[in-house]
Amino acid sequence: MTGVPNGPWFTSLPPCETLVPCGQGRHTVRWEAGEFRLASHADLEAELVLVALGGEGARCVEIADAWRRHAADLTVLGLGPRGEADEVPVSWDDVDAAEQAARGGAGGPGRWGWLASPPRAAMARAAIRHQQYQEEAGQDSQRRLDLLSLLALGAEFQVRLSGQVAAAYADRLDEPDDYGRNVRSVLTAALDGRLAPVAEQWLGIDPNQVEVSLYRDDGWGSVELTGHGEQRRLRVSLPAWWLARVWACGLALTGRHLVVAVERAGWPDARVLALRAPGAEPVSLRAHAVSHPSGAADAPHWEI
Amino acid sequence: MDREGAETYLRLLAEAAMRGSLTPAAARAPNASTIMVVGHALTAVEALDPVTAEEILADFRLAVTVRHLHSEAGQGVTAAQWLAQGRPVLRGKPRPSPSPGEGTAGEGAPGNATPGEGADRFIPVGLTVPFLAGAVSGELCLMSFAQTGTGARFIAAWQVHSPALEVQLSHHYPGLIPFDEFTVTDDRGGRYKLDHTPGSDLAWPNMIRLNPAPPGNIRWLDVAPPYRPAVRVALSRGGPHSSDDETQVSVSDAALSAGEHLLVMLAERLLTGTPEFPRRGMLAAPPTSPRQVVAGGFGDIIAALEAADVLSPLSPVPARLATLCASLDLTGHGIAAPPTLDLPEPWLSLLAHYQRRKPEPTQMREGYAALAATLPELDGIRVTLLGLQHAQGSSVLHVLAQGPAPEPRPGPLDIDLNFPLSFWLRESGGRWHAARPDRCHQGDGESAIRLRLVPPLTRPADWVEVQAGGRSAKVRATLPLRWRYPS
Repeated sequence: MTGVPNGPWFTSLPPCETLVPCGQGRHTVRWEAGEFRLASHADLEAELVLVALGGEGARCVEIADAWRRHAADLTVLGLGPRGEADEVPVSWDDVDAAEQAARGGAGGPGRWGWLASPPRAAMARAAIRHQQYQEEAGQDSQRRLDLLSLLALGAEFQVRLSGQVAAAYADRLDEPDDYGRNVRSVLTAALDGRLAPVAEQWLGIDPNQVEVSLYRDDGWGSVELTGHGEQRRLRVSLPAWWLARVWACGLALTGRHLVVAVERAGWPDARVLALRAPGAEPVSLRAHAVSHPSGAADAPHWEI
Repeated sequence: MDREGAETYLRLLAEAAMRGSLTPAAARAPNASTIMVVGHALTAVEALDPVTAEEILADFRLAVTVRHLHSEAGQGVTAAQWLAQGRPVLRGKPRPSPSPGEGTAGEGAPGNATPGEGADRFIPVGLTVPFLAGAVSGELCLMSFAQTGTGARFIAAWQVHSPALEVQLSHHYPGLIPFDEFTVTDDRGGRYKLDHTPGSDLAWPNMIRLNPAPPGNIRWLDVAPPYRPAVRVALSRGGPHSSDDETQVSVSDAALSAGEHLLVMLAERLLTGTPEFPRRGMLAAPPTSPRQVVAGGFGDIIAALEAADVLSPLSPVPARLATLCASLDLTGHGIAAPPTLDLPEPWLSLLAHYQRRKPEPTQMREGYAALAATLPELDGIRVTLLGLQHAQGSSVLHVLAQGPAPEPRPGPLDIDLNFPLSFWLRESGGRWHAARPDRCHQGDGESAIRLRLVPPLTRPADWVEVQAGGRSAKVRATLPLRWRYPS
């Protein structure tokens, strides 16, 4: 058992790995203890520098670079899976097709050949606008390609990347992200999207009757069920860390309990704070990882 | 205003839409249209910036479509399509560039230019100038003269006859109008041309600029058609406000919240967008029509405005909107408030009009009434009424709106944020007519706007009461009308 009180969020997650088409072969990439690792590229740092300088890098090196760049990208939470039933089935063929499309759409100086002797100033302004547009479109396209490649790594990587992004912001909710997004708003929506299906499994409630908010005080938060029929509401307030420590680690619904916090992270044993029913006091339970019903070795599945 | 509440609401709505897309059987799940409509409402009240709203919608679309990369043929998208998905429509269109001559009132002027010579002046004219140019004849009907910092123009109507076709007081066929053959001279000998192409809007020859712009203190203009004597337009009346002493104006507090004001604008947009005299049961719009899409988003719009703290949960406006939707057979609006009988009088008047089984016989001849009355400022906007016109079964009110123009934010709500006022006319017969922006030409802090009256006038009223409502106040102005009819 590797249980560590107040350990990193990912301590309750097993390693996972997958094969990535790289050059003429397929290379293994691995996630372990919160890090993305390449088994087939000994000097990753040097290769990343090469990529940063504009050199042609191996695909799995580019993916490692994309992982690093998007480990704090809130867009990941919008694109990524909301739960086990929500598959995001991106294949490497999709990535290849997208890369080809991106290269084809880049355009170049030849595209301006049709401008027959326009005024010089107008041509200069148009060229600047065109260049700005190309730069923005190129950046946007590269960002989407990165995200598509990261999704192609498969469900286990998708969940871990989501956990990593949530962890990156869980303690800095008041600062906007690099794109100026309101972090609290994004994380509230991410919590809603992931908790509502869990609540449906837990209580059979319509996911649209679940109202979530980010809990910001000390403690685990609150879970309250009110009303009947169409007025029924499950009001849940949980800290942003729940997304990383609980949901990303596959602990959200364990042994018919809603896990609201991890007291002691670990793999394959962890201690969690869990609710049997809304309104009840949470109890401390020992969770043990068992084989996933799907047979996936690196998908966490827990029992009380 | 709670901007974070606004952004969070829209993101949660997108999340609910995402859930709906994953369970196609889900009844009444929000979708991209709902996100767009609510996003537009939040940007309209400035609780959310358009770029954020746009990104939320874009991210939602990316998230939905990436899950359909391997759907059956015809239902999914390819990776290349996913990559190339464009930005959605919430981003504002670029502000139109000023037309040639606009904002350069002083250029080429024969005398001192208009700017700096004092206040704007608005003069009711009410003169008809007959003309004959080759095979084309007709009348130029001058409703009013407006001179501001951006130049001088007549608000005019035209009646054009040609051997090939006859166009009565037309908005159409402006190519037949011999603008170039008119000459205009002022009391100092300055000469001007009529310029009908501000904004290159050939289909709207109601605003005719004088080129170059005349000085601000000329006393009259002689407008001379080809081969005919000139007609003199006296410019000695007028002042900073109404030039018409008979206009009665009153102002009352409105104190609407930003959310209430938006809902009123939306309600009036629904009222003016309803088809005329449908058969009973046919008021309902098709599910995909803009009216139904907007109405279908009302529940979410109201919740979003409350989340943004720009609409009180105790506001009476949502209940009025619910009544309106029920009266117009718009279903699925999702407004939680129960309907109320407490509707504004103009709404009731227009609803009564829609309930008629057949059109009312019209006693209205084609004609125009000169106006030049400036209303007290509303929410930073100063509106001057410049003419009322009835032609081809339509009635229009010409106005000039001055004040800071907001960044253009086109959106699915189809409301004109350049003219964020509730605008109604009550004619001497007692009926109310909604005035809905129909055409707008913008430039340098002012917008020339043609407001279409819904329903059109059916008899030549002796007077009209104009009721203009902003967030802060409501203005009522009663204006006598003197109708003039071209031959």
